[in-house]
Amino acid sequence: MTSTLKGITLKGSAELVAEFFSFGINSILYQRGIYPPETFSRVTNYDMSLQLTTDPKLKNYLTNVVSQLKEWLFECTVQKLVLVITCLETNEVLERWQFDIECDKSAKESSAPREKSIKTIQDEIRSVIRQITATVTFLPLLETPCAFDLLVYTDKDLVVPDKWEESGPQIIDQSEEVRLRSFTTSIHRVNSMVAYKKTDSV
Amino acid sequence: MAEGGDMEWELSKENIQPLRRGRAISALHEALSLQQDGLSSAINQQRQAFESELRMYDGDDPLDVWDRYIKWTEQTFPQGGKESNLATLLERAVTRFTEEKKYHDDPRYVDLWIKFAENCPEPLDIFRYMQAQGIGVTQASLYIAWSEEYENQGNCRKADLVYQEGFKKCAEPHDKLLQFHKALQARVSRQVMMNVEEDSDDEPKQPERVSLAELKHRGKKKAIAPINRTGSAIRSISGGMQSHGAPVLGNASNSRLVVFDENKTQSAGPSEPKLEAWAAPPTSRAKENERNPEKWCGVKVPQKSKFGHTVMAPPPPKPTFQPFVEESDQPPTMTPCKINPAVNTVLSARKPHREETPLKRLQEHHQQQKEAESGKLQEQSMYCKELLLSGATEFCFEELRAERYFKKVTPEVRGQMDQACASASN
Repeated sequence: MTSTLKGITLKGSAELVAEFFSFGINSILYQRGIYPPETFSRVTNYDMSLQLTTDPKLKNYLTNVVSQLKEWLFECTVQKLVLVITCLETNEVLERWQFDIECDKSAKESSAPREKSIKTIQDEIRSVIRQITATVTFLPLLETPCAFDLLVYTDKDLVVPDKWEESGPQIIDQSEEVRLRSFTTSIHRVNSMVAYKKTDSV
Repeated sequence: MAEGGDMEWELSKENIQPLRRGRAISALHEALSLQQDGLSSAINQQRQAFESELRMYDGDDPLDVWDRYIKWTEQTFPQGGKESNLATLLERAVTRFTEEKKYHDDPRYVDLWIKFAENCPEPLDIFRYMQAQGIGVTQASLYIAWSEEYENQGNCRKADLVYQEGFKKCAEPHDKLLQFHKALQARVSRQVMMNVEEDSDDEPKQPERVSLAELKHRGKKKAIAPINRTGSAIRSISGGMQSHGAPVLGNASNSRLVVFDENKTQSAGPSEPKLEAWAAPPTSRAKENERNPEKWCGVKVPQKSKFGHTVMAPPPPKPTFQPFVEESDQPPTMTPCKINPAVNTVLSARKPHREETPLKRLQEHHQQQKEAESGKLQEQSMYCKELLLSGATEFCFEELRAERYFKKVTPEVRGQMDQACASASN
């Protein structure tokens, strides 16, 4: 990924988006305290410091997911990625981070690169991740130990790969929804949103 | 919800205090947009409505109004601060119902107490007071908050003992208490393990060093909104020293946990509240940048230049991180310095004076009530003082009268309106 590259291809776009998800998921897991903070290490990417997990199991899991996701992004068959945070004891869904992915399928036919510099895309990605960090200002405190789950919505006709299983949408009832920023590589567009349990006040 | 225009919260994220239960995003947007033009009339109106509701309420659950008022205040003033009046409000609410036994185990009331304690400089005193008064002793939330406070101060043993006390009292919900107790044990054991690892390559540390380490080790606690950041950071120093087995203060309360003895406290505590009974008078209201005087071993006093500025130590030659510089960035425009160094005199030390802490006020209030009951009270107000002063702000007689008048008039007016509508539709 050199900054001299001016255009962007489908492959590059898929890679960028997958990379975003890798960092984004790590950030959420860190920010929301799903894993203990000492199991994260700081790296610099997108000109900002980010936390990446050092837990080998989690790392492995995320690499698997992201590489699968990259494939689907390349085929433009993925619609949504959802990170669900559930209470470990009661299995109640407490938070739901949803990333809607819009693919421009015409990019599959024409291989001509699109005009958008990586710099601009990374700037957009940065502001999305910043916003994820900033959400602690209004999200409720997760008081209980929590687990997380990743859901990927794909086109219907896709074969479910090994180690993946079909699941329900895990919607929170009575939720408050906040749209976050979005970014686009001009081939993939990612809209982010977080939903959380509504406070009983006001 | 439209995109783009709703990014307002991000621009003022530093001014939003995180709440345990989170914020309603719509309330947040509204609050932020209203705040741009000062305290708006809409907020004032709503506040006035709550105030008069407090006074006019004649149902059997007066706590409900307070509860709603306080929750509204939390959501409407995301940055907290003085104008939200939250501290006063909590204090009033809490004092108001100390005598009402029916609320003592009401989760809402206990929650108010816990919020009040979090706003106080010495939350532990408040929790002890609650226990002595029998407020929330069967509520798991009291023990959880209490234990978390101990844990924040680095005293994990006492944090554990608080849970034991909760189990003894059969606090409800039992599951929740059990779960939080387990989580505490997990955190402590992890901390111990990490301490062992670090101690092996480290000599006994300076107190300052300990405080840094403590902060790092907080584990899951990081997720808990540290509103009083400076306070806990400073407190953790003493916590660290305690855990190293060095008694810092000669207080009886410090040497060993005094197990709560019901009979003893009943004779000593609530019946005749002694102000001295609370060791180590709590300091003033939470302020930032307050530290206890301490010895600065081997630290040079910063020299003063002839202009009266303190000469700072030269910054470290190179920062360990790479500051991010936006390529397209304009050179930053300098903010003109308004402070004239000649006028700006050096800050003088604060004069020690008797501080009135919320806890003391509580005790005084309690004492007054006791006196009033036994008929010892000398004064008797010949007007409804309670009503005028019951909210967070003071009402005048006219306001009260107006409220009563409107209450009486509204049904009639409504009746007339209905008739008018009926005739109009005819």
